[in-house]
Amino acid sequence: MLGDSSRRGVVLSTTSTVVVLAVLVGIFLLAPGSAQVRHTFFNPTDMWQSFVGDPKAGYYSVGEALWLNIRMFVAAEILILIFALIVAVIRQSTGPVLLPLRVAATVYVDVARGVPLILIIFALGYGLPALQLTVVSDQSAAVYGVVALVVSYSAYVAEVYRAGINSVHRSQVAAARSLGLTQGASMRYVILPQAIRNIIPPLLNDFISLQKDTAQVGLLGAIEANKAAEIYSSTVFNYSSYVVAAILFLALTIPLARFTDHLIRRDQARRLAGAGQLWAERARFPFPVPGARKRCGSKGCASRSARTRCSAGWTWMWPRTRSSA
Amino acid sequence: MKQITVAAMAAIAMLAASAGLAGCASESSSSSAASGTSSSASAAAASCSNSAIQSQLYAKGVLTVATDKPVYPPWFVNNKPTNGQGYESAVAYAVAAQLGFSKSQVTWAYEPFNSSYAPGPKKFDFDINEISYSAARAQVVTFSDSYYDVQQALVALKNSPIVTKHSQADLKTYVFGDQVGTTSLQFINSQIQPSQTPKVFETLNDVKQALQTKQIAALVTDTPTAEFITTEIPGSVVVAQFPSTGEHYGLLFAKGNQLVTCVNKALATLKANGTLAKLTAQYLKDFTSVPTIKP
Repeated sequence: MLGDSSRRGVVLSTTSTVVVLAVLVGIFLLAPGSAQVRHTFFNPTDMWQSFVGDPKAGYYSVGEALWLNIRMFVAAEILILIFALIVAVIRQSTGPVLLPLRVAATVYVDVARGVPLILIIFALGYGLPALQLTVVSDQSAAVYGVVALVVSYSAYVAEVYRAGINSVHRSQVAAARSLGLTQGASMRYVILPQAIRNIIPPLLNDFISLQKDTAQVGLLGAIEANKAAEIYSSTVFNYSSYVVAAILFLALTIPLARFTDHLIRRDQARRLAGAGQLWAERARFPFPVPGARKRCGSKGCASRSARTRCSAGWTWMWPRTRSSA
Repeated sequence: MKQITVAAMAAIAMLAASAGLAGCASESSSSSAASGTSSSASAAAASCSNSAIQSQLYAKGVLTVATDKPVYPPWFVNNKPTNGQGYESAVAYAVAAQLGFSKSQVTWAYEPFNSSYAPGPKKFDFDINEISYSAARAQVVTFSDSYYDVQQALVALKNSPIVTKHSQADLKTYVFGDQVGTTSLQFINSQIQPSQTPKVFETLNDVKQALQTKQIAALVTDTPTAEFITTEIPGSVVVAQFPSTGEHYGLLFAKGNQLVTCVNKALATLKANGTLAKLTAQYLKDFTSVPTIKP
């Protein structure tokens, strides 16, 4: 009986999907302007021409321009990870001496998150060169673009870090401190390793968005994929180049999106299983595992900082691939 | 059973919606077919009287002219297309007068350059926005005959090396900038062929900013715009202009718009009776003082 109804469900969902798709495709193909739209957006000749480019005809290769997006994205991502962590740790600090830094970090996060990225790009991209300083004012548009992306995204990512830090139970800090770790050491060895593991999915989510936002740097005159597409389209009056740019961006973001999904699923499985052994087996990088105190004193914990780690009630596990290498 | 009903209802609703769309479609296609036949009738096409062209207009009784926002001198004055000042505004009103429209019968529509060539019905009769004719573009839209023949020029800061060193070999060493969608980029890459990739900006203001902050050595644009820019940016000069490549500005129409025949007639009259030359002298000055160099 159950099998019957589930089979019926499959048939129904398949049918409705096919019907909906067919109706949508039908509307698109039968629309009075369909041929014109297909020519303007999906013309294979234009798509190919914009992909390979022809500077003498007045347009650049969208495919080649994407390389600039990739370079900007990678550079920005690395800088953001570092800068945002610093901001997050400063915001979480408690020492009275650090108050000015905390205030500065809070103001920075508020401002950088509140101002649209495009305005930050504008302000830095046209403002820094106008200062006429050596080095600072002599960079390429892509460099200013990366700086703007770092300024904007670090604020978001710092908050993601902070959420991750807060997600680690207070008892972890208490335990670490009671065992004699300094505040810095407990942050470094107890809090951050757990926090970062928790925030990898939201972090990757921000980076998917960052990949796309490299397109906004085109505003400064740098010829990245979106700008190259715009140049093509305005030169020959055909929008197919934008579709090419969209496909290329998808080719970048979809793998990252699937990877994020995979990490989220893995994390859920891990939480449901709740077994330290499973965590260790599935990990891609070393992380602390609870309840492994008994391992202390064994060969695995003989490293310099083994004492600290073990005294915190955690041990440092390497994924299989790493330890076998 | 209930699920089936819901699915069926959804399908019916969609079909109804698509039928509705198809209904609209057939209606619009029949009307456009009707206008096509009426205009192909030789009597209607031959006469360019105000009453004869009514059926070809975007809005009955008025000539709808489009341009971008903001618009710059010397093409428009005070960012107001309606004031009849500036070369393009004056040309638009002169064309309108030739077609029998009074000044109050001309309405202006806002059309960003990037959407002026979008597929689908246009919201204007023609667009006047310093748009250069090219064969590729003419496959998508219809252009009128030339209302201005363009030469490209170089604008730089007075103390910049390009002001004195601009031999053909020297020119290749500079970073140039231009506005997206202009033919200047094509000109730079095909004629000057610089070793460094030019920078392409969204608006003319961005290019000017880049020139002032020395992000680019020189900006390339048409000579009238170049002349105007020097009045805006202190310490900037028109270095030189380049020989004509046959480039010209045309009014942009929806592909196949029959109105272009009568507008071309009007432009021919304005050329023959000296109006265009007079407006050029009035708004675009005389650029013989600007040296012409080889790219």
